[in-house]
Amino acid sequence: MIKKFLIFSLMAVMLASVLAACSGSEEASGEDEEGVTTLRMTWWGSQSRHDQTQEIIKAFEEENPDIKIESEFTGFDGYFEKMAAQASGNNLPDIMQQNFGEYLNQYADKELLADLTPLVEDGTIDVEGVSETIMESGKKDGKLLGIPTGTNALTAFYNKDMVEAAGLDLSDGEWTWEEYEEYATAISEETGEYGARLMEPKNLFEYYLREKGEKLFNEDGTGLGYEDDQLLVDYFERNLALEEKGAVPNYDTIQQIKGVEDELIVRGEAAFDFRWSNQATALDSSAGGKPIGMTLLPGENNDQGMYLKPAMLWSVSESSEHKEEAARFIDFFVNNVKVYEIGGSDRGVPIKEEIREELSADLSETDKKVFEYIEMVTEHSSPIDSNFPPESSEILGELQKIDELVMYGELSAEEGAEQFRSTVERVMAR
Amino acid sequence: MKVTPPNKKLNTGNKNVTGYAFISPFLIGFFSLTIFPILYSLYLSFTDFDMMGTPNWIGLENYTRMFTSDPTFWKSMKVTFFYAGVAVPIRLVFALLVALALNKVVEMVGLYRTLLYLPSVVGGSIAVSIMWRQLFGNDGAFNSILAAIGLPTHSWLGDPGTAIWTLIVLYGWQFGSSMLIFLAGLRNIPKTFYEASSVDGAGPIRQFFIITIPLLTPVILFNTIMQVIQGFMAFTPSFVVTNGGPVNSTLLYVLYMYQRAFEYFDMGYASAMAWVMLVIIAIFTALIFKSSEHWVHYESDTK
Repeated sequence: MIKKFLIFSLMAVMLASVLAACSGSEEASGEDEEGVTTLRMTWWGSQSRHDQTQEIIKAFEEENPDIKIESEFTGFDGYFEKMAAQASGNNLPDIMQQNFGEYLNQYADKELLADLTPLVEDGTIDVEGVSETIMESGKKDGKLLGIPTGTNALTAFYNKDMVEAAGLDLSDGEWTWEEYEEYATAISEETGEYGARLMEPKNLFEYYLREKGEKLFNEDGTGLGYEDDQLLVDYFERNLALEEKGAVPNYDTIQQIKGVEDELIVRGEAAFDFRWSNQATALDSSAGGKPIGMTLLPGENNDQGMYLKPAMLWSVSESSEHKEEAARFIDFFVNNVKVYEIGGSDRGVPIKEEIREELSADLSETDKKVFEYIEMVTEHSSPIDSNFPPESSEILGELQKIDELVMYGELSAEEGAEQFRSTVERVMAR
Repeated sequence: MKVTPPNKKLNTGNKNVTGYAFISPFLIGFFSLTIFPILYSLYLSFTDFDMMGTPNWIGLENYTRMFTSDPTFWKSMKVTFFYAGVAVPIRLVFALLVALALNKVVEMVGLYRTLLYLPSVVGGSIAVSIMWRQLFGNDGAFNSILAAIGLPTHSWLGDPGTAIWTLIVLYGWQFGSSMLIFLAGLRNIPKTFYEASSVDGAGPIRQFFIITIPLLTPVILFNTIMQVIQGFMAFTPSFVVTNGGPVNSTLLYVLYMYQRAFEYFDMGYASAMAWVMLVIIAIFTALIFKSSEHWVHYESDTK
């Protein structure tokens, strides 16, 4: 009898340990013996951002000895796949870097993020004086799901030397798409390198539409916002024409690029590169001595096309057991000038004016450039479109694939535009 | 012959319990980590599960969507069939040739075996895939060699026509485990057969076709089945080396399944895809078994 009992208790212990192993993560982010709370935090980014963020975490831990932060980070590729796997295991980190637009909406749709409104109201996160439009970008369905880390805008980065070599000047940001084509061609003829990097459709087609007075998605996010497929045809044809002239590379070159630090503009192999302003830090630090300028994107109505965007957001997961502690980190990030002294404009320009002013005295060259640029965009921009449906990450992924097919000549520009529309309809109808 | 009767009931109950207790770690693992997930994924394949919400029963919708309105599904199917169809025979032939060569080596056979097996040990890993990306990249070693001997370079991974071939070569290169099994099979063929046939005047090529191949067919069958299954389930190379691109030319089935599940939160659909793959693999395995009646010879049959 005793033997039987022993055997059964042995089985019970084994079963318990298997079950414990399945839910081990909860213990990992629990409280340690001395009342120290351990938080898990994730972000994506370049190597320079990883280094900076870890320094910021150290500064936070010094001021908050009762909180310890475990960090997990990757490049952007793979980040959201990893998060999705964690989400399905109800194991999202306490603090996660979240992206505005398609990703925020997807997470909001699945109710994975905590509503930070009460934590802002009780003062745990101090966002006093942050402009309403900026805070708005972290809201979805009336819930505050993310606090912007900083402000961002699409930027035309250019290599000043190469542009000058072709005898051009574009510091005022007034240039049309036709001029962009001319410049890119002239520069590639002059220097033997590419005039521009091939545009990434995910961000730039939306800008292209906005500049033409259209939107990517319709008001209620149930379909495409533009009627005329000719717009996408034009976008494709512009890139195709440039590629034919050798002024921009095709995807076979683009696919070899391993990250922002490895971009053509950094290596001096392209004069223009359209990307987000906060990437200036990574670009400048890897470009060596190459002088890189920033200006508005091309287009006759770039006031209408340009917009300010939260660079990214800090979110707290709904499943976190330490929402308040997580909120304290976000508060630290928003309100402590040290954060931006360490990180510069890598996560965007600070959303608080006091911080911006405090910093302005001793900004690095890059950050000064970015601050000035964001100011320029503030004067020349329209509000961001936030009507992205939860399916938009799939839709933008499809746009990327169709762009590849068109650039490789497997689809004509017209077929590509048509296929994009039918794909969107199919995805939205599900 | 005297048959001993089974033991009386004495103690057997107790013995069983002890037995079950000792295998319980396996049983718990088997049921909770294998059987349950398999059945659960079958259930999910009939739902619109998006990883977080509650799964809603939608019947066969995932399956009809897959077959009628998802061109990417068919593309990934095509890529996978091409990949498995080309890469598996290449690997098997290569493994057999190397095994034949090693069978003749007398000295330091252990060293060669280890060296040749090494790619299979590290082969499926991320590290090797990353190395492959470097080797075949535009500025990679492969192009440098071509340039050095005056041949034109090529964007191997960037060209939709050649990217899949780099993955096929990667697959073929990891021939080690099949090779070892072939080698074991070759060692099992009695030397006397060769001696007898050479007395009758058969040369090495004739010996290969009348002795080696027929006696090796059970091993060939085993390797073929294992490799076909592996070929269909390949994931890491296309995920790491090319991520399915360019223009989906290396979008292996499992990679597309992964994208549906983890990029688009489309878990129900991905589960349905997994079951379709299961059925396809089952059909192929059955076909190979069926055909084996005609070409596999077991020594015991030939008596």
